[in-house]
Amino acid sequence: MPHAFHLPAQMAELLGDDSLSLEELARACRRAPEWVSEHVEAGVIAPQPADAVSGGMVTWRFASTTLVRARRVAQLEACFDADPHLAALTVDLMEEVGDLRRQLRQLRPPVPGS
Amino acid sequence: MEFKDYYQTLGVEKSASQDEIKKAYRKLARKYHPDVSKEADAAAKMAQLNEANTVLSDPEKRAAYDSVSAQAAAQGARGGGEFRPPPGWDTGFEFSGSPYEGGDGGDYSDFFEQLFGQAARQRGGAGGFGQGGGHAARRGSDHHAKIELDLLDAYQGGTRTLSLHAARPGPNGRMVSEERNLEVKIPKGVREGQLIRLAGQGAPGMGDAPAGDLFLEVHFRPDARWRSVERDVYQPLPLAPWEAALGASVEVQTPSGTVEVTVPARSRAGRKLRLKGRGIPAATPGDLYLEIDIALPPADSDAARAAWTALGKAFPTFNPRAPSQTQQGA
Repeated sequence: MPHAFHLPAQMAELLGDDSLSLEELARACRRAPEWVSEHVEAGVIAPQPADAVSGGMVTWRFASTTLVRARRVAQLEACFDADPHLAALTVDLMEEVGDLRRQLRQLRPPVPGS
Repeated sequence: MEFKDYYQTLGVEKSASQDEIKKAYRKLARKYHPDVSKEADAAAKMAQLNEANTVLSDPEKRAAYDSVSAQAAAQGARGGGEFRPPPGWDTGFEFSGSPYEGGDGGDYSDFFEQLFGQAARQRGGAGGFGQGGGHAARRGSDHHAKIELDLLDAYQGGTRTLSLHAARPGPNGRMVSEERNLEVKIPKGVREGQLIRLAGQGAPGMGDAPAGDLFLEVHFRPDARWRSVERDVYQPLPLAPWEAALGASVEVQTPSGTVEVTVPARSRAGRKLRLKGRGIPAATPGDLYLEIDIALPPADSDAARAAWTALGKAFPTFNPRAPSQTQQGA
């Protein structure tokens, strides 16, 4: 059994609603930044509401939950050569199923000791 | 190193066309997609499928793999058997994949990393084998994993030890498999579905480039005591019939400690009492909602049965099935 490597607490960063830049989102999806731009323009991926405008340019920021969504869209597109909107529709349904499954688990929590 | 039979993984013949490989991959990807599959090992299966497809769907990689596969057959290695590629196996092959290729990086086997991983590319860069034939520094890819926490961890923070299995560059640039435990401080205020980023804990970079990051997707274990929706937390509050009817001051164990709650008279089942700011901590913390539930004392003794009978006699016209009564319970 390997020794546990202690990671300094400050290295564990909780990603909030506007933590990720376009480039970070693209990198985490293993896609080019243009892929993110195109999907934002198409309404498949939503940036946080922009309140920071510098030099007439709006800087997009993304929530960490958007990264989970963007990765799913990217995977579906790669797996099935899917149209971005079809991939987004599938991801919408996946998210809904995930929510419903969570609610179902909550209504039927595991019996302690089982 | 365990030899991987990618054709077997996708269930196709070695002579399969690109179209047949694509069809087989998609069929299996649909079956084992971890977001919808009910198979226990769906995520692991999906990683194997992705790896097999990454190699077989790329003519250059497939040709290189077929060459290695022939050598493996000569060594007597089959799928799952031990295999070590001879030095220089990759001479004459050039891989031109994009740095953005692949749907989900980071989950490749040691076999794949040995043959097509970053160290192999880097090694080849000096010898005419690699991406563009150069030693370009490139940041390591990000890795992703899920982590299951208790809701209390969101209130108190916590420490979790993660067991990670990843390939790292070893001596001679070859990738070696490494298992390591990582002790991670869970920050307070984490929510369902949120990500924790561990900087530099992803795949190592090429050359002087930094390592990638490790992203942990947080999920809470189901708990009969409470559940969360965003930053708000919901908790059942069982009350005795008389507490609900007459009002009471009750002690409640909440995720942030014991609190004294004033229950208003004439409270009904399903009614929610909001404790502002006692949800998941944050700059703007969530709220805690106590959901009233009426618990009935058991009629398991003569005295208890007499008490229930007396109660019934005290309300001779009470009909819980009357429309006005049932609407109140909503």
